Amino acid sequence: MEIISSWVGNIPDLAVPFALAALGLIVTERAGVLALGAEGLMLVGALFGVGGYLLFDSTGIALLLAMLAASGVSILFAVMVLVLRINQVIAGLALVFFCQGLTALLGILFGWASHPVSGFEAWTLWPLSELPIVGRLFIQNPVVYLTPLIFFAVAIYLNHSMSGLKLRAVGENPQAADAAGIPVLTYRFAAILAGAALIGLAGAYISVLSTKMWIEDMTGGRGWIAVALVIFARWSPWRAFAGAILFGSIEALIPQLAAAGVRLPQYFVFMTPYVVTLAVMIWVALPKRDQNKPDQKNQPDALGEPFIREERR
Amino acid sequence: MIISSALVFGLLISALILVAAGVSASDLFNEFVLYTLFDGQSLRAVLFQAAPLIVLGLAGALAFRARFWNLGLEGQMIWGAIAATAVSLFEIGPPSLRLVLMFIAAIIGGLMWALVPVLLKLHLKVNEIISTLMLNYIAVNFLLFLLYGSWKDPRDSFPYSPQFKSFERLPNIFDGVNLAIPIALVIALLVLWFTRISRAGLYLRFVDSSPGVAAAVGVPVQRVILLTVLFSGALAGLAGFMVSAGQEERLTHSFYLGYGFSGILIAFLARNQPIAATVVAVLVATLFVGGRSLQVYYQIPFSMVQLIQAILVICVASSDFFIRYRIRRIQSEA
Repeated sequence: MEIISSWVGNIPDLAVPFALAALGLIVTERAGVLALGAEGLMLVGALFGVGGYLLFDSTGIALLLAMLAASGVSILFAVMVLVLRINQVIAGLALVFFCQGLTALLGILFGWASHPVSGFEAWTLWPLSELPIVGRLFIQNPVVYLTPLIFFAVAIYLNHSMSGLKLRAVGENPQAADAAGIPVLTYRFAAILAGAALIGLAGAYISVLSTKMWIEDMTGGRGWIAVALVIFARWSPWRAFAGAILFGSIEALIPQLAAAGVRLPQYFVFMTPYVVTLAVMIWVALPKRDQNKPDQKNQPDALGEPFIREERR
Repeated sequence: MIISSALVFGLLISALILVAAGVSASDLFNEFVLYTLFDGQSLRAVLFQAAPLIVLGLAGALAFRARFWNLGLEGQMIWGAIAATAVSLFEIGPPSLRLVLMFIAAIIGGLMWALVPVLLKLHLKVNEIISTLMLNYIAVNFLLFLLYGSWKDPRDSFPYSPQFKSFERLPNIFDGVNLAIPIALVIALLVLWFTRISRAGLYLRFVDSSPGVAAAVGVPVQRVILLTVLFSGALAGLAGFMVSAGQEERLTHSFYLGYGFSGILIAFLARNQPIAATVVAVLVATLFVGGRSLQVYYQIPFSMVQLIQAILVICVASSDFFIRYRIRRIQSEA
């Protein structure tokens, strides 16, 4: 019983980074920009979150700074794919490698590595926190409570606002959107920056609130898992939310199993998230009987396509 | 022309970052240009370092020619090294053949690890970027499992395998340079033959230009992609063998670091051309050697090397735009 309740209590802490990163990816990709750079932007967020905390001694400012830093770096990506029209796969990969090198270097140069930070105090939502089994879901840091609200806001924006409709139009058919007078590149630019802010927040969550320390390459592929998660969620925010909880549950299960006395080889345990991601990718790809409709994958039609107004397609 | 000015531009930015990080400009020049290229010992170090990079660059170039984003070079390299080390640990075959068996095992190891993502891509259309990256993480953890577990050197408690015996290491051809460099050059010729002369290479050019048309004119697209990606994985495995049997002389827990990305970078900068990849690999090897001495003398972290490589990729990729822009201008005037 104790094991189940502590397992449930650990899920949000592990699910939130996946959820926020996936949401950021969805915002960017719904505008038709393939965002493979998530792993790198998460690292930038993670580093500047810790840096912001060490500089300003405030968790709130730290998280804001992380979002700003990730957005700032994503301008580089935006210029690459929107202005210079570099292949979005190459630009995304280059961004990841750039950020990995940059954060490792800056972490050492600024002396931000291996300094513990304190993060937020947990907020206890009484009386919900007294519930059996799920009680610990309501003893979490504020960002955990904020995450569903962010999801709610983004889902409303994407699906029920004029601006969200335009953003999706840009991702589905930029030529038609352009003809209708929507500024395609402005929307894509904004979508890249906004998505990067969410991805940076996801990274800062890991470093400032979860691990409470900056370690080189600390995201460990979570950005890539988020990319897979978005495919699994078929670009829908709420499905991504559910997927993040699924991944968080699996990650949270590992220490619980060890505590319960199940002897597992440590390094095989570390493999689980990657094996699960691979399995999920295969499962999504398996032909399904009820998926005869061609647009069942819900992938934005113009994903990865550069928009060049004067060019015929 | 534009590409080389982009490269120079990228190197200038990198030099600025290095100066900002506390290296004086004259030292930088001495360290990278004079010392690395005009000193016999460090020239040997560059050649020594270049061999696995050439092979990895070729591996990347092959996969990209098949329109397969093989980001799994690292994982394939690790499996190549694990397979070679297994041959050494379990003393398979007579000593005279041991090195050859390790060579073959490494090729098979890398090939098998590339087989998974390529089959998933061909049969289920699973995105190979994600699958190869996930397989990297799985391979790294398996490597650590071995090295912190049953393969640990019993003589001390460091996470590496027992040292290879003398007949299990690549022999020196002259002082400081071992057999890895000639092997790498032979591989480069082999890849050149494969892409330029062989029938599969001809098909590959069809597939690279337009998979749909290639299929319509009867090219066995799936088989060509499968063959090419397996070739790529085999070469990555071979690079793992070169680093373990040629440089580290054992299986270590971090031998692969930085190589996977460099292979991709070399292939990209060389536009997937085998000869160009060989040249670029030597340049990247210079960067590696220079980066190590910066690490020793200035405490600049080795990740600087990765940052410089990323800056170079960004600059060269951006230069593409200017190349295309000019071409269009000429057309509009005609």
